[in-house]
This record gives sequence, structure tokens and C-alpha cells, in this order.
Amino acid sequence: MLVFLFVLGVVFFVEPLIEEYPEDARVFPQLTAAAVLVGSGLLLVRNYLPGPIRSFVAEEVSITSDTTELDDDLETAEPPESDEERVVEKETIGSEYGYEVNDTAFVVVTAIVYFFAGWAAGFFWVTPFYVVFYTLWYKVRVTKSVFLAVLAMAILWVFMEFLGMPFDQGHVFDFSPFLPDFRQFLPFLLEWGGR
Amino acid sequence: MSALEAFFEGVVIAVSWPVIGYMAIGLLLGIVLGALPGIGSPVGMAIVLPLTLPMDATPAIILLTAIYAGAMYGGSIAAILINAPGTESAAATTLDGYPMSKNGLAKNALAIASTASALNGFLAAIALILLSPLLIEVVLAFGSPEYFLLAVLGISLITIVTQGSIVKGLVAGALGFMISTIGTAILTARPRYTFGQFGLYDGIDFVAALIGMFAFAEMMKLAAQKQIAGEDLEIAGSIREGVRTVFRYPVTTIKSGIIGMGIGMVPGSGATTSTFVAYAEEARSSAKDGKFGEGDPRGVIAPEAANNPTVSGSLVPTLSFGIPGSGSTAVLLGGILMHGLQPGPVLFDEQLQITYALFVSVFLGNVLILAVGLSIIPYASKITELDTNVIIPMVIVLSYAGAFTLNRNWFDVGAVIALGVLGFYMVRYNYSVIAFVLGIVLGPIAEENFFRSLQISGGEYRIFVHPIDRPLSFVLSVAIFLVLFGPFLKPKLEEVISRR
Repeated sequence: MLVFLFVLGVVFFVEPLIEEYPEDARVFPQLTAAAVLVGSGLLLVRNYLPGPIRSFVAEEVSITSDTTELDDDLETAEPPESDEERVVEKETIGSEYGYEVNDTAFVVVTAIVYFFAGWAAGFFWVTPFYVVFYTLWYKVRVTKSVFLAVLAMAILWVFMEFLGMPFDQGHVFDFSPFLPDFRQFLPFLLEWGGR
Repeated sequence: MSALEAFFEGVVIAVSWPVIGYMAIGLLLGIVLGALPGIGSPVGMAIVLPLTLPMDATPAIILLTAIYAGAMYGGSIAAILINAPGTESAAATTLDGYPMSKNGLAKNALAIASTASALNGFLAAIALILLSPLLIEVVLAFGSPEYFLLAVLGISLITIVTQGSIVKGLVAGALGFMISTIGTAILTARPRYTFGQFGLYDGIDFVAALIGMFAFAEMMKLAAQKQIAGEDLEIAGSIREGVRTVFRYPVTTIKSGIIGMGIGMVPGSGATTSTFVAYAEEARSSAKDGKFGEGDPRGVIAPEAANNPTVSGSLVPTLSFGIPGSGSTAVLLGGILMHGLQPGPVLFDEQLQITYALFVSVFLGNVLILAVGLSIIPYASKITELDTNVIIPMVIVLSYAGAFTLNRNWFDVGAVIALGVLGFYMVRYNYSVIAFVLGIVLGPIAEENFFRSLQISGGEYRIFVHPIDRPLSFVLSVAIFLVLFGPFLKPKLEEVISRR
């Protein structure tokens, strides 16, 4: 994390010099990049800093408590465990077949695949597959999973219909000609709702 | 327009249709989102934010504020019933709320939470309306250098209010400022850090950043958490007795409300701080006869009486100076800016009626919280039983759709993922996400005021610290110095004094 921030700081500091940004486009981003650069640099070498500077860099301070403590292990802090009462392990289709997949990684990977698939083929068409795959992976009931997929499509349709979002068109595949005219169902729904 | 005229116009706006309808929807949505452990108000507000694009500014801001206020109460439902606070601000409520629930007094605890929340939220909204003429005077005294310094002070305060390393907090804030400079420069039409990508010419939309940092990152966190068993909970106790309990402890209620509003007004501090301070103060002052941690009703009254006044209090720095105190107010500020409103003098001068409409809707919202809060108690457990595996994909679908809607730009959707992952690791390694978000939201304002100040002074940086020409700037600069270095200088100073 610190190395990433340091490199990002370097890029943001050097880029205006290479690309010769005018002064009023350069000063503010360079000032902020310098702050990131110096801050992350100090955190990286905190264990080799002299006493007073080290305490400034590594000490954790809060105005809500009187104490300050030295944080030697700034990047290994684990989030506190939540209450353990009445919690159950998540069951997945993968675990059934002996594949243990990290839940956080699963969220990120599926979200990235969903993003690229949505960009290529249109969110409207990809969303039901994403929702069904995600929920079935965690063994949500099939009926609930299909209901959620339909609900998600309905939400996207509202975006398309009322905000003019082209969620039915992808950059690689264009399935928009296959989009049914859902508006023709509206009178039936309104009539049904009025009963 | 006089302040009184603006106030009455604000009342008319707040009670008009569909504004009052949006307020009711926002409150209900807030209560439900707040009750879902791991969701809470920032996530809900971040998802709803792009959906408010077609709306007028006033109902949109009122809708977001109503979600915020509703979530404050909603958070206590999960805290009391399943010991898993729906929002961070409800964490203090678990200390005595859950034991009350285990003692068969869940209805009492929920009634205490809704009554104390609503009653003090109601009183705090009145205080806010009465306080606003004074605020107007203060806000109008600020100029460009002061606004730039306030942005820096806001980030400095956040780094110190949220526990952790100050340097890490400053790095997070500076990183936010830095990311906000991507795109076409404010003062010249020069593209910056776009690396030849046209999609980056408009920069990273701060609403997409908010969605990423709050919604996407929270979903990553939620996925990593163990599932709370969805079993039927029996809710026992008496609602009437719970309401009476709040009035039995008027000092606790009022004192906690004052603490909540006071802490809420401090830029950088949110309801998490105020509720714990209110709880700690009550435990201290009632130590003789209190059974805190075992289901003492005062342990529920104190944090719940503090949380909604914190909403009112946090509106002061958010609306007057554009310095939010929490994730929720950062999203609210994002909404204010997205709808073309400018926090500061304009909201307290030409658009004063909008500010008053917001205050009045907070006032009315608390009446509704009481009515809704008390009536949903028998069904409250149903909300907490929602499966997180159902919530996560739906939030991601809504996040993508919302981010794309902002500018029809795929880079905004990409930013949701990238900043979501960054936000997840920032939380994991104790970097202040609020400072980062504040940096992104305030970046353009800070940069503009920074350059305007330098234009005024002819390039002299002394404008930020000149005690005679700009006394307010000088005071703010000293405040920044004291906030950042005070905690380290204080022990040294005490050592020197004790030696003498």
C-alpha cells in the first residue's frame, strides 16, 4: 500500500514536469503529490527515523483519548472481529466441490468480469447472468435468485427508459434490436395494479 | 430577502408536495438501510445520489438528509436485536441495548431508541434554526484564503478525530486532493494526468468516487464478514414503558443531545464519536447506581439521544464551510455540489430558503421517525434477517448503473471498482477514508480558492498567514498547526512547565 502511494506520488509529481504543464495547472497537484510522496516516504522508513520524527510519524493520536501509542506495525493491523454470536460460515457451491474461494476476492473478480462483460455486451443483458451466478454461488434459492435477476433488469430498464441510458448496447456486441418493448406491458400492469 | 422571509419560504418548500414525500421515502429507506448490518447511511446515500440527478436540488438534498437521519435510528435496530450495529454510530447502543434485548426488554430498548432519537433530533433542529442567523454572520466573513485553509483544517481535524497516525491521515487527504486534479485544469483548459484517455478529460467524478469508497468497498468488507444467522427473533417487552423511560431521565436525554450536537458541529467528527462520548459521560455521572453493560436503559438513551442531534450539528460545517464531519455528510456535500449548490455564503444569503427548507425537513423528519420507529418495532427483526448475499450483487448493479448515469462515462464505472478496492485496503490499514473522500470532494474548491488567493496577493503565500491583513487566515493557519503538532508539543510543554 505504502509503495503504491509512493509511486503514485512520484508519477503525479513528475508528470507535470515531463509534459510541461503551465504553472497554474501544475502547482496545486504538485503540492499535493509532494505531501503524498513525503508522507508515504516517511511511513516507509519510519523504523530508521530518529526518535522525535519517528514518534510524529508512527504515533497514533486522538483528541477523544489522552493516550498516544506507537504503531510499529502500521500495515498489518487486522480489522477487529465482530460479534461472534449467532454467526454462520458462508456456504458456497465451490466449497461443496472442495474449492475454497476467498469471499472478498470473489466479489472483486465477479464485479470486474461483470464490468467488462457489461461494457462489451451491454449491462442490461449481462446483469441477470451476474446476479444469478453470484447468488447461486452462495446457494441462495433459485426462485429468489431469478426474482433478483428480474428485479435488477427492471431497475436497469427504468434507467434506460427514464434517463435514456444505453444499457442495452455494448461496445463489442449490440443486442439492442432484441430488446422487447416493455412499455406495451405497462397498461396490463397498471390495470392489474388497479384491481 | 430577510432571514424571516427565507425561513417561511423554507417552511413552504419543506411541506410542499413532492418534497415531503421524498422526505418520507428517504426516512423509510434510511431506517431499512441503517438496520442492515454493513450497509448504513453512507452506502445508501452514495447509491441514491446519482438517482437524484433528474430531481431539483432542494428535494434531492432533503431526500439524502432524510436517509441520513433515518439510518441513525435504523442502525439501533440491528444493534439492539442482534448485537451487530447497522451503522458505526450505533456501536455504543449495543453496549446496553443488546443486554436489554437478552433480558426480554427488546421492545423497551427499541422504543427508547426511537423516542430519544426523535425527541432530541426535533430539539436539535429547532436549535439549528435559532442558531442560523449567527452562522450567516460567520460564513459571510470568509474569503478565498480562508476557504482554502478551512479545507486543509477539515482534513487535519479528521486525521486527529479518527484515531490513527496523523501522517497517514494527511497522506489520505492529500491523495484525495491529488486524485481530484485528474482531468482538465480548473484555471486553464490543460488536461492533466489523462495519459491520452479522453474518458479522463472530465476527471474522476467525485460521486463515482463516493460510490466506490462507500458502496463498493463496503460490499467487499461485507463479503468478508461471517453471516449473521437469519433466525426468527422474539421481540419481548413494552413499547409504552420504553417511551416513558426516556422522560424519566430528562437530564440524560438533554445532556446527551447537547453533546451530540456540539460534537457534530466540529468538522471531522461524526456520530460514532458523539455517541461514545455521550455513553461514557452517562456511565461516569451515573456510576453510583448504574448497571452499564448489563442492560441499563440510560446506556441506550445516551447514545440514541446523541446521534440525531449530531446530524443537525454536522449540517453546520457541511453547509456553511463545505467541511463534512462523516462519511454520510461527505456524500451529502457531494449531493449539494452535484446539484450546483455551493456550500458557504450563497447558501446563507441568496439561497437561504433552501437551507431553511433543509432544517425544517430535519425537524419534520424527526416527528416521522418517532411515528414510524414506534410502529415498526414488532416487525423490526425482519429487516435484520436480510441475506447479505442478496444485498451485495444488487448494490453492485446499482453502483455501476448510478456511476455510468453521472456522465455516461465508462471510466466512472471503472473508478468505482478501483477506488472501492483502494478504499477497502485503506480501511484495512487504518487510513482515513473520510479524509480521502473529503480531499476528492473539496479538491476543486480548494484549488480554485488557493489560486484565487494567490491572484489577490500577487503570488505571495503570506496571504495565508498575515496576522494584520487576514486575521482569520492567520487564526486558521495557527489552528492547523496546533491540530497537527499540538498532541506532540503538549507533553513537551508540560515537561518544561513542570521543571520550572
